[in-house]
Amino acid sequence: MFSSLVRGVLNSRAILPKCLKTCSPSVLQFSNKTQLAVAQEVLPSDSDIRLTTTNTIQKVNDLIAQGAEGRLFAVVHVAGKQFKITPEDIIIIEGYWPPTNGDQINLEKVMLVGGTDFTLIGRPVLPQGLVTVRATVIEKDLSHTKPIFYKKRRKQYQRLNFYRSHYTMLRINEIVVSSDVNNPSDTVQVERTLASP
Amino acid sequence: MSNSHLFLTAGFPKAPLNNGVGRYIGQLQRVVIKFCKSHGSSKGVREFIESNLIDFSRANPGVAVYVKPRRHRGPSITAEFCNGETGYIDVKCMSRDEVYKWLNHFTTQSGKKVMRYRKLWHTESPSIQGVWSPHTFRDPALNLAKFPLENHAGPIIHQPSATELLIEMFKKQQLERSGESDGETKE
Repeated sequence: MFSSLVRGVLNSRAILPKCLKTCSPSVLQFSNKTQLAVAQEVLPSDSDIRLTTTNTIQKVNDLIAQGAEGRLFAVVHVAGKQFKITPEDIIIIEGYWPPTNGDQINLEKVMLVGGTDFTLIGRPVLPQGLVTVRATVIEKDLSHTKPIFYKKRRKQYQRLNFYRSHYTMLRINEIVVSSDVNNPSDTVQVERTLASP
Repeated sequence: MSNSHLFLTAGFPKAPLNNGVGRYIGQLQRVVIKFCKSHGSSKGVREFIESNLIDFSRANPGVAVYVKPRRHRGPSITAEFCNGETGYIDVKCMSRDEVYKWLNHFTTQSGKKVMRYRKLWHTESPSIQGVWSPHTFRDPALNLAKFPLENHAGPIIHQPSATELLIEMFKKQQLERSGESDGETKE
């Protein structure tokens, strides 16, 4: 049924390109009639997809092996917040956080790493050991005084409290892709468990 | 006359002298602990000096520690930082542990004045892959397009996806089946 529709549209008006690669179905309007042109997609074969994937990963690995990846950036998850960082950045972590001044730490929850030519996206985090993000604690201080003001209207009730939260300042030292992409060493594939219908 | 000094300054995170890029350097230079030898309000400070001060000094070789007894005055700690700023804390009636805590707090500070941070993040290289614009990742054919575009004018009418169609078909089938079974029970 759909194919006949498409043919009809094609015959009436040669708007659609010959190679139907558009993904979203487009609606063509003419003479008070709306007809649906169902999108047709030429899907690459599995072997094609596999080839392009391996080639792309090989390119990224080559870039990293040559040291030509350039400046990298990363999205890290630290103490409940996400930061987009690149070497020499400063980030501040709010709240109680034990590391103290001069400590060198590795930020291990890396959600994304990118360079000029590639991006590695974690689902949600990249495998441990793939990327090394090193940072130094340079300052631990208190924030400015923040007021908390409560008021209940018409109830003669109001309170004004103050507090200062802990701030830990981190200097990002380096972001390095330290192992091969898509070469998991000791990853275990767990079969997906589905709730029975 | 301006009133700018009355209000809290706001700014972005910054470390003095690019601290931490090569190595970390502690910013505390000098500490002066003032106390009284006889008054009770200096009790905690005296205990601290007796038991913890040597350890503190050994742990922080970059900090010069001065101890200054003064008669019948409240105890205090004054800290001097690399940037010339000073920090002051009144340690009156504080216990030994509290004194130790506040002294350690000075060692981790950088000495800059209290500031409200506009962002908890600072970078010198804001974009690595290029700044996003509405034309990023768009079909370059659109550069040569003549407007108005027939396909792009008007609202986007979302057609049901294949999954939605399937679900609808399934529901319809189930309805039909239930209708059949109802008929059977009636018979």
